Amino acid sequence: MATLDHKFSRLAALKPARPPAVRFTTLREPCEEDTMARLLGAGVSTNRFGEHLAVRNWFSTPEFVAPHSTSLQLLSQQRDDVVSRRTRAALENPEKWLFLDTETTGLAGGTGTYAFLIGLAWWDAGGLQVEQLFMRDFAEEHSVLCELAARLAERPVLVTFNGKTFDWPLLENRFRMTRSIAVPSLAAHLDLLHPARALWKFRLGSVRLTDLEREVLNPTLLGWRRDGDVSSKFIPQFYFDYLRGGPPEPLLGVARHNQMDLRGLAALFGKINALLAEGISPDEQMHGLDLFGLSKFLHRRGDKGRAQVACAQAVDLGLPVEFHSRAQYDLALMAKRKGEHQRAAEIWHEILAYSGDAIHACEQLAIHYELRVKNYERALEFAHRARRLLHTQANRANFFAQRGIARREDLSLNRIKRLEGRLSKRTGKLLSLGETRATSTV
Amino acid sequence: MPESLAVRTATDTSSITRVREVLDGFALRDREGEILTAVRHFPARTAQWAPFPAWVHPDLLAAYKAKGIDRLYSHQAAAAEAAHEEKNIVIVTPTASGKTLCYNLPVINAILENSDTRAIYLFPTKALAQDQLAEVHDLNQRLDNRFGVFTYDGDTPSDARKAIREKSHIVLTNPDMLHTGILPHHTRWTRLFENLKYIVLDELHTYRGVFGSHLCNVLRRLRRIANFYGCQPQFICCSATIANPGELAGKLLETDVEVLNTNGAPAAEKTFVFYNPPVVNRALGIRRSYINEACRVSQEFLKRDLQTMVFANSRLHTELMLTYLQQANPQQPGRAATIRGYRGGYLPNERRDIERGLRDGQIRGVVSTSALELGIDVGSLDTVVMAGYPGTIAATWQRAGRAGRRSGSSCAVLVASSAPLDQFIVRNPDYFFGNTPEHAFIQPDNLEILINHLKCAAFELPIGPEERFGDADVQDLCARLAEAGFLHRAGENYHWTQEAYPADTVSLRSVTSDNFVIIDITGSPTVIGEVDFSSALTTVHEKAIYIHGGQQYHVEYLDFKERKAYVKRVDVDYYTDAIRYTQVRILECAAETRASDSLPKIPALRSFGDVLVRSQVIGFKKLKFFTNENIGAGNLELPENEMHTTSYWITLERPLLESLPFTISERQSGMFGLLHALASVATLLLMCDRRDLGTAIGEKPPYPNDQEVAVEAVQLRDRISPNAKEFFEPNLYLFDAYPGGIGFSEPLYRAHDILMRRTRQLIVACACAQGCPSCVGPAGDLAPRAKEAALAILDRLCNSNGEAR
Repeated sequence: MATLDHKFSRLAALKPARPPAVRFTTLREPCEEDTMARLLGAGVSTNRFGEHLAVRNWFSTPEFVAPHSTSLQLLSQQRDDVVSRRTRAALENPEKWLFLDTETTGLAGGTGTYAFLIGLAWWDAGGLQVEQLFMRDFAEEHSVLCELAARLAERPVLVTFNGKTFDWPLLENRFRMTRSIAVPSLAAHLDLLHPARALWKFRLGSVRLTDLEREVLNPTLLGWRRDGDVSSKFIPQFYFDYLRGGPPEPLLGVARHNQMDLRGLAALFGKINALLAEGISPDEQMHGLDLFGLSKFLHRRGDKGRAQVACAQAVDLGLPVEFHSRAQYDLALMAKRKGEHQRAAEIWHEILAYSGDAIHACEQLAIHYELRVKNYERALEFAHRARRLLHTQANRANFFAQRGIARREDLSLNRIKRLEGRLSKRTGKLLSLGETRATSTV
Repeated sequence: MPESLAVRTATDTSSITRVREVLDGFALRDREGEILTAVRHFPARTAQWAPFPAWVHPDLLAAYKAKGIDRLYSHQAAAAEAAHEEKNIVIVTPTASGKTLCYNLPVINAILENSDTRAIYLFPTKALAQDQLAEVHDLNQRLDNRFGVFTYDGDTPSDARKAIREKSHIVLTNPDMLHTGILPHHTRWTRLFENLKYIVLDELHTYRGVFGSHLCNVLRRLRRIANFYGCQPQFICCSATIANPGELAGKLLETDVEVLNTNGAPAAEKTFVFYNPPVVNRALGIRRSYINEACRVSQEFLKRDLQTMVFANSRLHTELMLTYLQQANPQQPGRAATIRGYRGGYLPNERRDIERGLRDGQIRGVVSTSALELGIDVGSLDTVVMAGYPGTIAATWQRAGRAGRRSGSSCAVLVASSAPLDQFIVRNPDYFFGNTPEHAFIQPDNLEILINHLKCAAFELPIGPEERFGDADVQDLCARLAEAGFLHRAGENYHWTQEAYPADTVSLRSVTSDNFVIIDITGSPTVIGEVDFSSALTTVHEKAIYIHGGQQYHVEYLDFKERKAYVKRVDVDYYTDAIRYTQVRILECAAETRASDSLPKIPALRSFGDVLVRSQVIGFKKLKFFTNENIGAGNLELPENEMHTTSYWITLERPLLESLPFTISERQSGMFGLLHALASVATLLLMCDRRDLGTAIGEKPPYPNDQEVAVEAVQLRDRISPNAKEFFEPNLYLFDAYPGGIGFSEPLYRAHDILMRRTRQLIVACACAQGCPSCVGPAGDLAPRAKEAALAILDRLCNSNGEAR
């Protein structure tokens, strides 16, 4: 039954009709000769700086997802700083959100790089409203920027993919260059690149938006496919060609590319939101490596408890060998920090059996047996083992790694000495005890 | 005999006596009066004082007083006053005259009055910026760090850059960084550009030739950006003494600039000596090694505990002399070395250490490249020895200025090499000690340079319909750039339409940016040196004998694409000489007139204009040492080089040639000798490097502006062809060895008379019998009477007995 509901929920035909709320100004029909506008299905937007083309489309997918406060907290946190109340209020209201992705005349940055197509999107009527601002020529830039400023005034929470280092600084430059349109102030800027990298780099290696769409989001389910998508590296040249009177067709591909990037971005947010939200347990189809990534991300953003759960789930789901031992390593340390020493020791023993990072396990077990169990013989046994392993590794390591190893060797050597001292003291005590006992019996 | 050794007794008798001892010692050796060609004594000068202007902020006044400065030298006060009146100024004063105060005072005062004020200080090198940072920083500390001052250059860590952009009131940087790092990112510097009031250009005289032509364009871009943000910055410049500081500043800044050249700083008494190493072979004009002689002179000073700075013209020579002097003054066990080297390539900490050692007197001698020539603060020393002429009078005075304690006396010795320039200088002391004839020239409208900067400008801001950029027709150039795909016109403006970043591909010092690395593969491969592109073709072609630091190397393989030459050490009794074929074609003659204004009937013409120079190294000769016998030859296949440039040339007409009592080959040899000497003197007048000028001789085309006629010319070495026509009318070309030209041709055309006169002086004063490298070129290379022939031609060009004024 649940699956049927699920199916129906995805049917576009059952969605509410095309949303009535069009808050923006109406567009003028382009003139006959404007092949570019015709091709893009664009209208002419006019403001006090002139005109530009605007392409508006509403999509039923990706569907609106309400941002979960836990995910927001995790996403907006920069290490330890606390998010201001204003930012939080803006963040928690999805009506204030604006997805943004630009197509530019180059990647070099600096004042001579232009964003010729600015793609914007926001949640509307359960789906996604996309608006693309296109300058047919450099002279239309101010009008485009004016429009962007108006959108941002209404929706001051920016959501991007790599926009923190690329798109937004570039747009800031563009605004400054106008000398007449102030740089809009953002209430918050969520950039999904870093969370996405943390979550999926283990499984995918590369986390470009297209990779994520294919591997994480399931594009067929979302409603588009990247068939015949233009490659980003050709985009600047397509635009330059068009400026010089070349054919507009390649830019149609660019606009479509931008549209898919925006929808992918919104869908990616949905995915990340679901993953990070509390109380939503990861379903069984979840990949072990993704859970491991999630665990790492949660740990870094301070949610230690859920990090541990996710890590354990990842191990249960099964991980490739090298990740298995890394996850075990994390699990053991997390258990240790929570005071679950017995659990930690079990994992270290497992690691040793699996021959993962045996040195670390031996070191930790030596500590464990020395401090917690007070079994110095076992502790000494592991300390010796750690030292032997370090020694073999040192012979193979490069210069820089050797320094780290040397430090650890020193530590284990100290531990061995200390343990031997303790042991001899204890045996001494035992001996003297035995002697007294002996004398008493005699 | 030397002119005067009467060094007046001053307060510090001991150091004077010791300097005098040394000089007397030299004079004793100099029986012929050929070694000490000049000994000039400059008496001490007292300071001209002036009070601080009344408008100076009381806190700044207090800060200066705390530093021990409670009044100003007159020129400092005048400069501060002019800057305060918002004039663009250039201050021309010698080394150690307190010129930094001239700009720090008005700039910091303006910041204290209005904390929004911003300033950019430009220095030609990073080291200088560092040094000035210390100075401004010290003042700032006395003002409770009320403003921000930082260097911003290639060494600035990227995580510090953002803070620097926001906090700097004064940014200390260099033209290269301004060009690639600041201007293309001006939107990140809005606070600076919105409040940019002052631009300080220190060491203005270094911005000449290619570098200066580039800088002028960078300044055009800078002003353009400042205007965009609503600012019209004011310029404060400092220059060493050159003949045309006002002209140079005016050309660089493209505005009216007031020249302030009265010096109010005191000077200690100083003796300046020209030392010409003794001749060992008079006929060939061979002298003792100037490097060894310079060491010897330095050792005489060091021996008498006079703190000495030795300047060499190359890193290699620095090391060589350092070794020699360190051997002569061995390090005492447990004590720091008293003789140190100083050059680029030493680590910053080591440099600071040496600077400190010099100031506190622990270091008694330092051997340096030009690195210590510009304002780095090392205090003042007793004596300065220069091994070789630094190339310009301005640089020589700057180096000499390193000696000169405020009290007492100091001495500067210039030890001449046998290069023509050196010999000219030491044999014509009046040229050096009189009013400087050195002119700095730039050609900012060189199209090659200008277009590159126009591209950068378009990247920075779209180019509007009313914009000016030098004298160029901006709209036309933009249209061409648009056609080539760099720009696109939208509405009235031209916008940048390339993915690439134009400033990255434009080097401000590009004449020498393309270098060949020389790798010694005798043992394990080691890099032993570098040669620039143009000389690479003639010095490190395959099978060439390359001489480096006295060692001969045979070039095994020249990797033209990778710019590498692989050499092996050899010991042979010959050297090689490349045969270069140079062809000059006149494209457009800008001006042509009789060679001398005072002699309207002289059978010679002078001209300048655009030319096309094609050159190719086609082979080489093996020449035996000493005898210069030709003992073999080889052919080479190296790519042809073609460039458009500008040239100045002299045409010798038939009547002049007919009047020469020489054979054809002597006459030709004379022409080449003359050209050799002309080029040497021209570099002197133009403050340029010998490499900046090319030479060639070609036949004057029958119709001056006929582009169809190719002018055949051959380079110095490879000329005297047996079937030369009896009376061709030759053109003697001196062309700018840089595509597009860097502005030497017109000044040479204008300075024709002085060029002839000085060249004649050079040849006449040379003691060699039949030519030597110091005048018309090595004797063995020329026909026997070449020197005579060259002089005869010159005589005819200078009113028969050299009286042309």
